[in-house]
Order: sequence, then structure tokens, then C-alpha cells
Amino acid sequence: MAAKPTRRVVLAAAAALPFAAASGCDSLRVVGAPPPPAPDVTTLREAIAAEQLMVDRYTAVLRNAGGTLATALQPLLDEHRAHLAQLRSRLAVPPGSRYRLPAPSARASAAVPAAASADIAFLRSAEQAAAAAMLGRVRRAPGSLAQLFASISASEATHVPALDAAAGRAAP
Amino acid sequence: MTGTAGGRAAAGTIQALQAALAGEHAAVYGYGVAGAYLTGSLRAAATADWLAHQVARDRLEAMLRSLGAEPAAAAVAYQLPAGVHGAAGAAALAVVLEDRMATAYLGLVVLGSTAIREYGAQQVQACALRAAAWRGTTVAFPGMTAAALAAPRQQQS
Repeated sequence: MAAKPTRRVVLAAAAALPFAAASGCDSLRVVGAPPPPAPDVTTLREAIAAEQLMVDRYTAVLRNAGGTLATALQPLLDEHRAHLAQLRSRLAVPPGSRYRLPAPSARASAAVPAAASADIAFLRSAEQAAAAAMLGRVRRAPGSLAQLFASISASEATHVPALDAAAGRAAP
Repeated sequence: MTGTAGGRAAAGTIQALQAALAGEHAAVYGYGVAGAYLTGSLRAAATADWLAHQVARDRLEAMLRSLGAEPAAAAVAYQLPAGVHGAAGAAALAVVLEDRMATAYLGLVVLGSTAIREYGAQQVQACALRAAAWRGTTVAFPGMTAAALAAPRQQQS
């Protein structure tokens, strides 16, 4: 190859290969199953699914939240949406691929507690788990993706004291 | 990969650790200035953060020595990003110091050593937590530059 391919191009090429072989040339046959995605693609998909879940959780809580709580939670939701958009931009999904980006989950919406204090405790533990899981992905990801995971993990860690402050304001 | 590539990787590791160390020297100096303009609980917070950066500085120096490198010394004084004339300026300085350190520690996250990567990622978190406390709000991408967010970069590092 003349130039070093970028990560996105590599991901797209690897993912597109089985489809090109199946449809592009009559003289070729696909032998065996398509290769599994590279480990970093799997890690990125995991991160996207985890971030989608955080967006779903905040969306569900915000549906019933009002006033001070909604004002406190909205910026945190906006940050999770920014995380999700940035993670998705790192994944090149070739046309015709069977991979689908995770859709908003109905189950996450259903699993939201009713009271404001319980809402905040629910989001707090979700943020702690999400930050720890994202930190764990740093080990498995290549260069720039590892930096993105580390930064998102740090952002999620800062949401915990932000939620504590919101709980303090929401308390009577 | 050849031995030359391994040598380059080690040089890259030392360079990234030295860059983080230079940042920690500046942060220790900067918090010393910031603390002088603060009182009460804010001064206590600045003192705690000042100590945290001294611990981080010592850790980086130890990591460099263990790799056979001489840790860079602190400068006598540092040019502050803006003049500090009161408590608001002191808090703003602390935010800048933490943001810069988060970026410096992201430089460790791309390195080959898993231990250094994980330490870098933990420090990005620590810097982001301190920055959020001084800023009063959170940000979506602590330490990430606009350029890093605009376009996924090549992986060779």
C-alpha cells in the first residue's frame, strides 16, 4: 500500500471484505464464515452500546424530572450524547453490513425508579460503573481510541460529584 | 517489529513521561500561586490539589528513573497563562493547570506499557475531577484537544 491507511479505513476495509468477496466477483467463493471483527472493533461497539445505555437512562429519568433536577441532569445527558456521537464517528460501518448501531433500549427506560432521590442514586451508580468499564477498555484499545475512552471515562467520573451536588440541591 | 522500533517506543515513552513531569512541575508552582489568593475551604482545596500534584510529580520522576532516564528539573519560575489578582483568577488558573495536565496524561494513554497506560488514564480522571470542582461544571472530553476530536488520527505512535 502506498500510504498508511487511517484506522477508519482499515476498519471499513476489514468489515467490507466478506461482502466484496460474495458479491463482487463470480469466480470467487467465500470459504467458511467471515472472520470475526478485530478486537478493537468489538471494544468500540461495546463502548457505543454502553454510552447508548447511559443516554437512555438519563432520557428516562428526565422524562419525569422537573425543575432543579432537570436543570442539573440536562448538561450531563448532553455530555453523554456527545460521547456517543464521538464514539460512533470512530466506527466506519460499510454499506450492507449486518452490524447495526444499538437503538435506544426500551428495557432501560422501564427500569427507572420513581422518586427523585432514587433517580439520582440510580444514575450515580450507573455513572460509576460506566466510568470503570470505560477505563477498562483503555487497556484493550489502540492509540487514539484509548485516549477517547480515557477522556470519556474521566468525564463520567466527574458526573458522580455533579450528581451528589444535584442530590444536595434536590433534598428538602 | 524490529529492535529499532522498540528503541523508538522507549524514546516515545520517556518523552511522554518528561512532558507530563514538566506539566506537574508547572502545576505545583501554579497551585502555590493560586493558594496565596484563596482563603478558607478554597485554600484547603488548593492545598490538597497542590499536594496531589507533588505526589504525581514524584511518581513520574520514579517512573523515569526506573527507565534509566534523568527526570527533567523544575524551572525557577513559570509564566502563568493569565495574571492572578484574586480568588476568581486563582480558580481559573487551577482549571487551566488541570486541563493541561489531563492532556499531558492522555499522552501516556497511547504508550505500549499497559501499566503506564492505566496510570495515565487514572490521572486523566483525577485531573478531570479537580478541574470540574474548580470550574463548577463538567465537560464532555477532559484533556482532548479540538483537533483530536475533529478527526480520528492515525494509529502509529
